[in-house]
Amino acid sequence: MVGRLVSAAPLRSVALPSVGSSRVRWVGVGIAVLLALLLPVRLAPAQDAASGEAIYRAWCLECHGAEGRGDGPAAERMLPRPRDFVGARYQIRTTASGELPTDDDLMRVMRDGLPGTAMPGWPNLGDQEKRDVLAFVKSLSPFFERETPEVLQRSADPGGGADRAGAGREAYGTLECARCHGEHGRGDGRSAPTLEDWRGFPVRAADLSEPWLFNGGMGADAIHTRFLTGMDGTPMPSNQDALEAGVVTEEDLWNLAHYVAGLGPAKAPELEEVVRVERREQLPGGPADAAWDDLPSFYFPLVGQIVQAPRQFAPTVDGVWVKGVHDGAELALRIEWNDPSNSPDPGWQEWQDKIAAALYSDGAPIPAEPLPDLLGVQFPMTPPDGRARPYFLMGDRRKPVYLWLWHSRRGAVEGRATGLGTTEVVDSGAGLTASAEWEAGRWRVVFRRPLADDDDGVLSFSEGDPIPIAFFAWDGSSGETGTRGSISAWYFVGLQPPTSNAVFVAPLVAFLVTGGLGMFAVRRAQKSYRG
Amino acid sequence: MSRAGSYLRHPFWQALGVLVGSYLLFKFGIGYVLPAIGVHSAPVPSSVLLQYMLTVVVALLLYVSTNEGRWSKFKEPLRQVMVDSDKRALRVVLLVALPLLVGFLTYGRVRADVGAPASLRSIHPAPPNQITFRGETISLTGLENPLREHGSFEEHLAVGATVYVQNCMPCHGDRLDGEGPAAHALNPVPANFTDNGTISQLTESYVFWRIATGGRGLPVEGAPWNSAMPAWEDLLTVDEIWAVTLFIYERSGSTPRTWEESSEGEGH
Repeated sequence: MVGRLVSAAPLRSVALPSVGSSRVRWVGVGIAVLLALLLPVRLAPAQDAASGEAIYRAWCLECHGAEGRGDGPAAERMLPRPRDFVGARYQIRTTASGELPTDDDLMRVMRDGLPGTAMPGWPNLGDQEKRDVLAFVKSLSPFFERETPEVLQRSADPGGGADRAGAGREAYGTLECARCHGEHGRGDGRSAPTLEDWRGFPVRAADLSEPWLFNGGMGADAIHTRFLTGMDGTPMPSNQDALEAGVVTEEDLWNLAHYVAGLGPAKAPELEEVVRVERREQLPGGPADAAWDDLPSFYFPLVGQIVQAPRQFAPTVDGVWVKGVHDGAELALRIEWNDPSNSPDPGWQEWQDKIAAALYSDGAPIPAEPLPDLLGVQFPMTPPDGRARPYFLMGDRRKPVYLWLWHSRRGAVEGRATGLGTTEVVDSGAGLTASAEWEAGRWRVVFRRPLADDDDGVLSFSEGDPIPIAFFAWDGSSGETGTRGSISAWYFVGLQPPTSNAVFVAPLVAFLVTGGLGMFAVRRAQKSYRG
Repeated sequence: MSRAGSYLRHPFWQALGVLVGSYLLFKFGIGYVLPAIGVHSAPVPSSVLLQYMLTVVVALLLYVSTNEGRWSKFKEPLRQVMVDSDKRALRVVLLVALPLLVGFLTYGRVRADVGAPASLRSIHPAPPNQITFRGETISLTGLENPLREHGSFEEHLAVGATVYVQNCMPCHGDRLDGEGPAAHALNPVPANFTDNGTISQLTESYVFWRIATGGRGLPVEGAPWNSAMPAWEDLLTVDEIWAVTLFIYERSGSTPRTWEESSEGEGH
């Protein structure tokens, strides 16, 4: 910025004198251009730690703390916790394990933020302001004075993408990635419940099927960088030593990077508001029935319930995938979500206690016993009349919600709620059934219910009208119960009416009319020009 | 004269160029290129895009038809396609392709699909004259932020900052722009305080009301069933709410509406 402003001045000054030969003028222009090129280099990045400190106090202190120890007033509601700039252990770097990050590494984080964490990008701060903050943040740790970090040299991506997945899967086994990340990468490995960072806070093994939440960004190159630099301060090790010792090869690591990149979608799932429930002759059976495979899948993000105390700021479940199908008489919905623990599981007790200690500081009672996983699917009690619906968090006294409540050990019941924590079981006799399966870090629950319900007080599903639906998920092994859990906004389920041939009439008419008009226009034109 | 040059000067190709260019500008320039270079913007809705494009078409027709020579030159390529015998192949292709395209677009429209109903809501519904705060009645009419008159402004601001980051930041964001880590899962999205359509349109008493009673305190036209805004009277004190109100105005660089100028228009 500064450089650009200064460099504009000499250019203007050569344009002014109009006398003199053109050759002199060209020399002048040449000098000006040279100056313009040199000046930014000479003036640029003057980093001003004092001005950086003022910006830090305004925007960073609340999370990273007055002294930069990552313990600001907002920190205790975050997991992972904000970076401790004094301890200066940085996860996302391009430098070797144990080294400090480069200036570029830190600037990138300030610019883009860290996906999957509470750290946002800072487009409201200019480049120079970010450099000043950088200078201040570095001044918080004596390590930056002693060391000049350098980018770790890595080989270039040989490409090959999906072709490398098979070999990558083998490397996944050799390097024991499954020990933390689990067989299918959903963060459910057998060490997962024991993981903690260098400050003793619990760390979730990354769910490799949700790459849009990777702290260091998605794509094979970013993943390969993490393999070699490690994620310092967390249990994720660097493979640089293994590479140098010949335990793994360059080829292995690139195969693995492409395999991991292929475990999730290439971009974050897009949000659609309506679950399109197709009509089929026959409904699929259990959660793993192949008949589910060709039905469209809809993703809905979930976030912590922070509306009503006690709150959950960093929940386990961050989204559900929903498929729906009906046969004119019965509705089947399959809800799928990742949860590394099949709760209640005593193997996760230590984890549950650590999460409670790290997050549940609001004084509300913390259950000590292992808890089940739960899922609540909310609908209005009756089809909405007009726009009004029940409150999206379990309704209220005026408008209750109709619930499908699933319990990881007891199956599903129908319920009714008039607000958070007011759930009561009601057996409407509607015949709700559920079958569930937990496999390698993923729940799949299939609910089935007849479309119509004899009980007038309970929702009937009908074709055509979109019906509001919302989700509430609890991970027992993270101590989630009651109001602590993950919630979604209202979305819809829309039951497709059977496709009639009538839908082809309008397009055909449009085709014929447009074609006819075109022919007519051409005829007229030809007649008038030739005649 | 080069071939490309003659195309550039020809009114038909000029018009076509402007048409395609303005479509690209409206469709991608406003929605995607501007945000990419750091200018605040959002994609243009398709109905608005259609209006823009109709305006462009009308303007183009006006332009080409105001001059007789330009008009006949403009029509020339159209005439060639419709009449010339050496353009027969192109003519047949167009006569089939265009109606097919229209039929296909029609199919996309009539195909049975259950869409989400329109979610109409009043963004700033009229506030009540008074509210009850944990059972205590507070009159909103004429109410000002008492912290602006009493005590240390800096201290109030510090309290407000702490309240904000502990409670509001997950949704309204570090930058107060409504883009906190939980915002993506909520509908309606959390308010962006840096947008001059939000708190700078409102009195501090209005903001106090929205914070204190949250989503459940909204009237029906505000779609209370969707709002994830907690009723902060359950979790914060009166002073904490006034402090965080002070903070969001101060930090976002907004100024509240005052009662003198808003006595009539309050609440829209």
